[in-house]
Amino acid sequence: MVQWAPLLVDSIRIFPHGENKKNGRNGALKASYVRKATRSGIPPLRDYLTETYRFRTFAMYWSKGELKSRNFDTTLGRLWHYLNPFLFGLIYFVFVGILTGGGLNSTTRLAFMVFNLYVWTLLSSVVVTSVSSVRNGGGGVLTNSAIPKVVVPLASTFSATNLFLRSLIAYIPLHLIADRGLHIEFLWIPLMLFLTCLFAFGIALIFATINIYLRDVSRFLPHFLRLWLYLSPAIWEFERVLDSGVINTLARINPTYSAFSAWTIILDGSSVIGGPSLGRQVLIFSAWAVPTAVIGFLFFISREDEFAIRN
Amino acid sequence: MSLRSEIDNAIEIQNLSVAYSAVVAQSGSPGSSGFRRSTKVQKINALSDVSVNFPAGKVTGLIGGNGAGKSTLLKTIVGVLKPSAGQVSLSGRPHLLTPGMGFNRVLSGRENVILGGLASGMSLEEVRSKQDEIIEFADIGNFIDLPTTTYSSGMFGRLAFAVATHVDPEILLVDEALSAGDTAFRKKAVERIRGLVASTKTIIVVSHSSALVSEMATEAVWLHRGKVRMQGQVDTVADTYKAFLDESSETAQLQSEKKE
Repeated sequence: MVQWAPLLVDSIRIFPHGENKKNGRNGALKASYVRKATRSGIPPLRDYLTETYRFRTFAMYWSKGELKSRNFDTTLGRLWHYLNPFLFGLIYFVFVGILTGGGLNSTTRLAFMVFNLYVWTLLSSVVVTSVSSVRNGGGGVLTNSAIPKVVVPLASTFSATNLFLRSLIAYIPLHLIADRGLHIEFLWIPLMLFLTCLFAFGIALIFATINIYLRDVSRFLPHFLRLWLYLSPAIWEFERVLDSGVINTLARINPTYSAFSAWTIILDGSSVIGGPSLGRQVLIFSAWAVPTAVIGFLFFISREDEFAIRN
Repeated sequence: MSLRSEIDNAIEIQNLSVAYSAVVAQSGSPGSSGFRRSTKVQKINALSDVSVNFPAGKVTGLIGGNGAGKSTLLKTIVGVLKPSAGQVSLSGRPHLLTPGMGFNRVLSGRENVILGGLASGMSLEEVRSKQDEIIEFADIGNFIDLPTTTYSSGMFGRLAFAVATHVDPEILLVDEALSAGDTAFRKKAVERIRGLVASTKTIIVVSHSSALVSEMATEAVWLHRGKVRMQGQVDTVADTYKAFLDESSETAQLQSEKKE
């Protein structure tokens, strides 16, 4: 979007692309803008980020509203925020337990699955709600306002993170019952949470932008996400593909492999003997998360005006 | 660009062209047949080489028929659409008055005042300080604490108008939004707009109706097929536009009679 936040210095308005203008008749300091076409479609990044920061409170309130409106007409209301991922984990626990003949009496396995599915829910709901919010025009924000459009998926990321943090509280009793223990590795949780959100945000921006041109993406997305879940060590242990071989190598290249193996090591407190170290897995996941977020962000903002036209 | 023009104009538009691609239905194809697509991408030149200035502290009416480019011009001024060529210079932050922008229909009117205010660019402190005033202006009684899904379209429009016009923007863009509410509220809305003008706000009102523009504006710009056809005092422009419409309808009638 061609939009610049003003730089105000005394009584001279300085335009980011070099044009200067003096103030009006009454001498009041007014914001000024010049809108011009840019070849890449990417606006000046510093100004775009400043404007995005200006609307952070809106993103937070939007996110709160989104959470409040979910399940508002049900009897259990907000309790569903905790129940949904727990039931999701329970279903997979029964399903995988029966399929693998591993039995249904392992609380450690249940805790492992429930937590990983909380993480998965965080990732997938950022993607799904962002794509859906952008497709629906973000309550007129995308079609009628100068708000940086990235605020809409950002609000979806806030919502999903908020729910994940609540889920963590609900998970604590299960963690203790399963005797997964308390570890120094827990200190990695804030960093891993940030990287998971960053990665999910990047993926969401890419899908939300493609979906504007190709509406079939939103239909394809649930199937893609389910397949991705099965290929990720969320419902199976990451140690299973430590051996060499093409399939195992491919499984380890999957960005969520490093994410889930890191989360598992953090929760269990130790690396598998001969397996990857926590630091290495976090580093690999960072190498996925940061470029994904940067590419997704640039792709999204370069196509912002398309959201107004095609919605 | 002279200093005088900078002082007098809130918006200066120079050689502005806006073109975009839109997905449209294939002509003569009511639906897809097999794998054949029923839509196609079409390039639309919504504005071409438009140069026009909007004076500061005045209400300017933007008139023209369907497809004249009025909404495109407003959206380019506000920053939703980007210019394909030319430029738009603004002296002040623009705000497009959009009923219910940022609103969440499940939330109450009171919560939506906060959400809508933030979406319109107000700070949280600003919205909170104006919340009572906005609610009083909307005048929807106890409904303010009920979800907006329970509102009539008139009530929703009043609340949305109240939020949007308490934003205190330097440049307010109104796109046919004054039709919200009943006659009494419309009078109140017009008074509110006049109040904003009195506090030196620059306002652009878009309407199909030259009567509405005449009522609100002192200046007018007539857009026709993406180009400026006329600009000047509102009465002159509105009269010329009305004569054009009458002539067009007469011509259309004559052509139709000839065919028969």
